[in-house]
Amino acid sequence: MPDLIAEKIEKQLGTAQILRGVSFQLQEREILALLGASGSGKTTLLRSVAGLEQPDAGKIEIRGKLVFDAASGFEVPAEQRGLGLVFQSYAIWPHRSVFENVAYGLRVRRAPEAETRQKVGAVLERLGLGQLADRYAHQLSGGQQQRVALARAMVYNPPVLLLDEPLSNLDAKLREDARAWLREIIKQTETSALYVTHDQTEALAIADRVLLLDRGLIQEEGAPEQIYGAPTNRFSAEFMGSNNRFEGKLAEVAGERGRLQGEGWTLWGRLRATKKAGETATGLMRVERLRLSDGVGADRLKMKLNSALYLGERWEYLFHLGELRIRVWGEERLPEGEYWVSVPETSLWIF
Amino acid sequence: MEEAARVAGAGVWRIALTVSLPLVLPSILFSASLIFLLGFELFGLPLVLGDPAGLLVLTTYLYKLTNLLGVPSYHLMAVVALSIVALTFPLVYLQRRLLRTAGRFAVIGGKGQAFRPLPLGALRWPAVLLLVLWLAVTVLLPLVGVTLRSLVSSWGEGVKLTEVLTLDHFRELTGYPNLVRGIVNTLLIGAIGGALSVVFYAIVGLAAHRWQSRWVSFLDYLVMLPRALPGLIVGLAFLWVFLFFKPIAPLRTTLFSLWIAYTVVWLAYGLRLISASLLQVKPELEEAARVIGARQRLVYRDVTLPLIRFGLIGSWLLIFMMFVREYSTGVYLLGPGTEVIGSLIVSLWGTGAVDLISALSVIEVGLVGFILFIALRLGVRLHA
Repeated sequence: MPDLIAEKIEKQLGTAQILRGVSFQLQEREILALLGASGSGKTTLLRSVAGLEQPDAGKIEIRGKLVFDAASGFEVPAEQRGLGLVFQSYAIWPHRSVFENVAYGLRVRRAPEAETRQKVGAVLERLGLGQLADRYAHQLSGGQQQRVALARAMVYNPPVLLLDEPLSNLDAKLREDARAWLREIIKQTETSALYVTHDQTEALAIADRVLLLDRGLIQEEGAPEQIYGAPTNRFSAEFMGSNNRFEGKLAEVAGERGRLQGEGWTLWGRLRATKKAGETATGLMRVERLRLSDGVGADRLKMKLNSALYLGERWEYLFHLGELRIRVWGEERLPEGEYWVSVPETSLWIF
Repeated sequence: MEEAARVAGAGVWRIALTVSLPLVLPSILFSASLIFLLGFELFGLPLVLGDPAGLLVLTTYLYKLTNLLGVPSYHLMAVVALSIVALTFPLVYLQRRLLRTAGRFAVIGGKGQAFRPLPLGALRWPAVLLLVLWLAVTVLLPLVGVTLRSLVSSWGEGVKLTEVLTLDHFRELTGYPNLVRGIVNTLLIGAIGGALSVVFYAIVGLAAHRWQSRWVSFLDYLVMLPRALPGLIVGLAFLWVFLFFKPIAPLRTTLFSLWIAYTVVWLAYGLRLISASLLQVKPELEEAARVIGARQRLVYRDVTLPLIRFGLIGSWLLIFMMFVREYSTGVYLLGPGTEVIGSLIVSLWGTGAVDLISALSVIEVGLVGFILFIALRLGVRLHA
């Protein structure tokens, strides 16, 4: 049985339609990332699951128990859903110590004092906060606050952990460490997690499955490799990664393959939309899939190096061929001139 | 915003006229309407200054109706009261309209802004002088005058002040049980009544807090009403309530009647204090408690109230001050057992007992000053 089922959730705020019928399921022990730009509705969706927003339509079930049904007007209030939520701002109560923050969930559940002490102690120890139990929020670093927020949401073993951009307030270096750590912790607790983020790398790294949201609709859904490596629609193809995009004419169609043509170039690629030969189409390539080659060959274009940018861990070259502009990554400074750019057929998606 | 204009090359005066002034214009309009409203409410000043010269305003006219006709003429009082209400209603409406459009001018963000003093140049000293003069005339002079008057037996031309210095008035004051009771009552209603009122305002404030409904703005409007009415009229209304509504009639002669009237009159002010504190509480802090499993009541008890506790103490001090200096509301409710300093002064004014009045005034000013001092020491912000 899935831990969480959301069906056709709709929500309007003012005149803006934030969610337009979003459905998803969260399996046991699964980490599901809700990925989207700001305004995509991901936080509203999370808050609807938590019970902090009331959707206009749809149904929500937690471990087989109905908690919201717009059709019958049924709603279980947030405090009775038993979920754990980590806020983007952490929302640690400044008037309570770390211990009292974490213990609160057990206190409202009227757990015996000894059990409370033991459980809070254990979770603080596990998250590396053992020494900080008596501190207050203002005495903690950002990373420590984030862990307190997580401890507070985990201590009473909620069936589903909701995380609203939990790493976005950490600085970049810390964020990379926290990513791996957070996934490990969630996996150890054996709960499932709904993870909201706008950072695609974070979503791909942490989640078992990613939901890509845009303007209140799910655009793409799948495992990280699938969503990045084989997107089924143009929006998700463009949203993820760093891309080369260009227009051309579909000269030839052969099953799943298609030949895109422009002034002075022609390339075979994978057809990702139903198009007929003769139509205009868009080509899309992940920058990191392109390489420079030594000489003539299939799937290669001879292009003129226009400029090169040094980005630290790599170089980014910009090549021109007539109207066509393509970015390629490489490892060294290139002298001016013409080069062969290799565009493998599997790397070019045609929409 | 001023800095943007500065960078764009505008001079100081030009900025003041073209940026700062338009930005504060809504506030100025709002203040103007507020002061207009206050004009209807003012009672003490016209009574003391205008009356001897035969100048009547609506409130003093209302107050003197009984004296003029010799019999309590409730029907005439009601007519005057209603006409004042009729005048203030459109003004409250106007205020609300002004406030609504003021929202689009709200530019003061959460980020700390450095205020840069305006270089006045040679105008600096005249400006200081003007300010000092203004303060001297409006604050210092009356205070010194009243204090002095309370310490001398008489003054005037040819009287050497050092010869007439005396503490007799304060001693005389202790001879009147109602005056002593007035002082005690004032303290009681300020300290205990004020605290109870803050509790009441907090309950109302919490009820409206995070409650998204059209009723909230209606409630908002409703609580503004008593503030739009002169305290004198609210006092009168409560007198009638206590006179004609038999079940609570026995309360009329207790401080309780006064407390209710005060609480209602200062409802809008008190609620504003409370909601200012509540606004500082980030919604996530409460939501966190709810998701964790706390019911609304627990959320308020464990999160909201502890977080605004300093705001509540500050509100209490401010309400204390307001209750101590309140006078017009109590004028009609004044009776044995419900005397307060302010109302006593008003009723004593008719008898010409200037000695006692000035002594009482000094005591009241002392009280308010003391609380103000404490409040400022605690860092209470006076303008919510």
